[in-house]
Amino acid sequence: MTALAEGVAGAGGVAPDTPVRSGRRGGGAWRFAVLGLLGLYFLIPIAASFWFTVRDRRDGGVTAEFYTGIPGADGFAEAFTRSLILAALTVLLALALMIPTVVLVDLRLPRLRTAVELLTLMPLVVPPIALVVGVRSVLSWAPDYFLGTPLADAFFAIQEPDLPWILVFAYVVLALPFVYRALDAGVHGADLRTLTEAARNLGASWPRVLVSVVLPVLRTSVLNAAFLTLALVLGEFTFANILGFETFPTWILRISGSAPQLSVAVSVLSLLVTWLLLLMISALDRRRGTEETA
Amino acid sequence: MLTALGTVPFFLYVAVFLLLPIAVLAVEAFRATDPVTYEETWSTGSITTITEGVYRRAYLGSLQLSLITAVLAAVLGLALAVAILRARRGQLLRRMVLTASGVLANFGGIPLAFAFIATIGNQGVVTALLQDTLGIGLGGFSLYSMTGLALVYLYFLVPLMVLTIIPALEALRPQWREAADNLGATGWQYWRYVGGPVLAPPVLGATMLLFASAFAAYATAKALVGSSVPLVTLQIADALSSNVVVGAENLGKALALGMVVVVGLVMAFYAWVQRRTQRWLA
Amino acid sequence: MTAASPRTAAAAPDTRPGVPIRIEGLTRRYGSVVALDGLDLDIAGGEFLALLGPSGCGKTTALRAIAGFDRPDAGRVLLGDRDVTGVPANKRDAGMVFQAYSLFPNLTVAENVAFGLRVRRRDRAEQRTRAAELLELVGLADRGDRYPHQLSGGQQQRVALARALAVAPKVLLLDEPLSALDAQVRVQLREEIRRIQLELGITTVFVTHDQAEALSVADRVGVMRAGRLEQVAGPDELYERPATAFVAEFVGTMNRLPATLSAGAVELLGVRRPVAGSAPAGAVEALVRPEALVVTAGGPAHVVTRTFSGAVTRLLVALPDGTEVRADLASADSQHLTAGTAVSVVPAERPVLVVPAEPA
Repeated sequence: MTALAEGVAGAGGVAPDTPVRSGRRGGGAWRFAVLGLLGLYFLIPIAASFWFTVRDRRDGGVTAEFYTGIPGADGFAEAFTRSLILAALTVLLALALMIPTVVLVDLRLPRLRTAVELLTLMPLVVPPIALVVGVRSVLSWAPDYFLGTPLADAFFAIQEPDLPWILVFAYVVLALPFVYRALDAGVHGADLRTLTEAARNLGASWPRVLVSVVLPVLRTSVLNAAFLTLALVLGEFTFANILGFETFPTWILRISGSAPQLSVAVSVLSLLVTWLLLLMISALDRRRGTEETA
Repeated sequence: MLTALGTVPFFLYVAVFLLLPIAVLAVEAFRATDPVTYEETWSTGSITTITEGVYRRAYLGSLQLSLITAVLAAVLGLALAVAILRARRGQLLRRMVLTASGVLANFGGIPLAFAFIATIGNQGVVTALLQDTLGIGLGGFSLYSMTGLALVYLYFLVPLMVLTIIPALEALRPQWREAADNLGATGWQYWRYVGGPVLAPPVLGATMLLFASAFAAYATAKALVGSSVPLVTLQIADALSSNVVVGAENLGKALALGMVVVVGLVMAFYAWVQRRTQRWLA
Repeated sequence: MTAASPRTAAAAPDTRPGVPIRIEGLTRRYGSVVALDGLDLDIAGGEFLALLGPSGCGKTTALRAIAGFDRPDAGRVLLGDRDVTGVPANKRDAGMVFQAYSLFPNLTVAENVAFGLRVRRRDRAEQRTRAAELLELVGLADRGDRYPHQLSGGQQQRVALARALAVAPKVLLLDEPLSALDAQVRVQLREEIRRIQLELGITTVFVTHDQAEALSVADRVGVMRAGRLEQVAGPDELYERPATAFVAEFVGTMNRLPATLSAGAVELLGVRRPVAGSAPAGAVEALVRPEALVVTAGGPAHVVTRTFSGAVTRLLVALPDGTEVRADLASADSQHLTAGTAVSVVPAERPVLVVPAEPA
């Protein structure tokens, strides 16, 4: 009942014209059962992981040593930095590739829409491990067929273990579904067509339209896409593992044998990082929502 | 026509980094390397191999695990989504569950595996707790098994279901329920004739997505069970990391191609069902 | 074909066949907001009653209480002699047409219309003939196998009407069924609803915020405000003799002018007129319809705008003190009264309605 009152108060203290359905009274038991059981299922592993990492096995007390030990852990700095750099490059490349495409398709080339939509959805259904096997096959052409050509040199260059560009290229593909949908939602929500037509009508050139109309309008969806991509790259394991590069997730697996608490502590932290990233996204979304209704 | 040039980078990129690798799989899965002469020939050897023995078991294992977890997650996720939507204007609860779903659906892979190892692994906190209090540990349950994997997979599949199905649930107009009530229908009749049929296509679609997601999962399984449970993804990794067996590389490609084919068939089935059920949306 | 239940028809064979609706002391609160405040209303069998009011006045809540979607906190609802207050919506026999989008999207038009019979487990043949019959009634006989999204908004509402009537409900409830439609379709459909209602003789409650709609189709109109009825009356009476200033202003256009009441007459715009209504002597508010103002060229006031609409032209006139009034004149008589023209305004020679002055 208080929840109902809140909803009504939100409508400016006036009874809504179509009142909120009062709902079926009773029958709420299954709801609480579902919420309770699933709540436990989702909370216990997080709580247990946390306890696992702060329990001191020697004296049964509490310790933060596994968390404070993370920055100095062997290999952590390189792996984590590498993952961050890969993420940044992936975000930039994905945006550079997709912003013009999404804007062009929406404004000028609606015929291509279905094709672009389908292609960007493919990475969602093609198993990453199948894709990485294919990528590996292509990469093996360099020693097998192209040896001595500039193409082979390029193939080797993108497999540099310090900064494996091939991962960036692959991660852009994996990020396509999220980046496309985020940008597409932004373009649609803003009715970019009318805005650009208005700008053109006022005499702006196309480059000018891009810089002063399209980009500002897409700001939140660009950030949205960036955060999603960041979360994706920081957690990606399959490509890095199969292609044999050390990134943050593969590092966790490598050290888990010798330092189980450390690996769990890092896992807990990475959950927190994902949480923060997504909170930022939803904060952005809400801000956009209020901006639009204001 | 100049504007069309602007989309060339996108199509080129997708062609090189998405379509080419898949095409290469489809071709090279049918190549074989002679173990003596290292000569390459056309062969269906790899394809035949992956339909037998350990590989056949791996496919069946993956299919079984993905199907069971997808259906379970679909049911649980749907129940959870309905429960939070039914909490009329329970804005706080709703936002909490949605945000948590967003996080947990992305919380797959390695960290998830370690969270469960810390909880119900051999040294896990809950394992120890049950051992100390009841003296039974986890009973016959082992995290490092098919059942254990299923339990872990649900952890990201259920939130994924909640996220994908909530828009469909919100699209069920309250007027439909009221109109049905008004015309004398019972709750069951409403779901039988209206709510169910309207909701079925999106639920099926979401379940397919869960299936693809579980079928493709690699990191979690790798971290939890190594290769002790028969799963295609693990077999592929094994084949690729084997430096000993000549032709294992092609076996990996055949296995990967098999995965693409399975997913393709599932999607084709989905498209077919969609067309049949969605006449009224056309 | 009759929509009335056999029982009522047998009980009162010599009256109109519709079932009367009686609402007693209906109260409904949402938190601190009172949507219905002890509403009493009697609707005769076969009557077409419109509930009119601004949004949030409780009209929809009242309708939903009759339909059973909303449990009142207090009060009773009777359909005929049956108290249905505690009866769930699916057992009430009240056909309802919603604002929009209430057709089941996965069922064809004919299946939608037959839905009520289907859940009552009538046989297929009966469902089919009844659906065809009703679609014929609303003029959509050839659209039975379409899906709702293939119809226009107006057609969808016709189907919704057919669907509500297919089960021969005791009463018909219309919840702003025209508000989502284009102006032309709206007029056409409201006339058709009235035709069908008269044909079936079914008791009908029609909720709307559009006064023209209410006045044009209803036998009686109930004007609601803050969960209560301000006035229930026939359209003519409501327009000519509004009981309160609220009704006066909500129904049609009304000028509210300061006036002085003394000795049974009211002094307004410098002239004295007989009085209608009641108020304590002294400063009062006079309510004057635009057509009851006489505008002549030359004087202290001036025309601000002139809006031509066919036979009648409306003038917005600014009085010397800045007050603006609306006056309707025959277009033929007002061609020279363009914007800026100096004019004088007086009330026509007829009783003027007064109400106590509301404190500003």
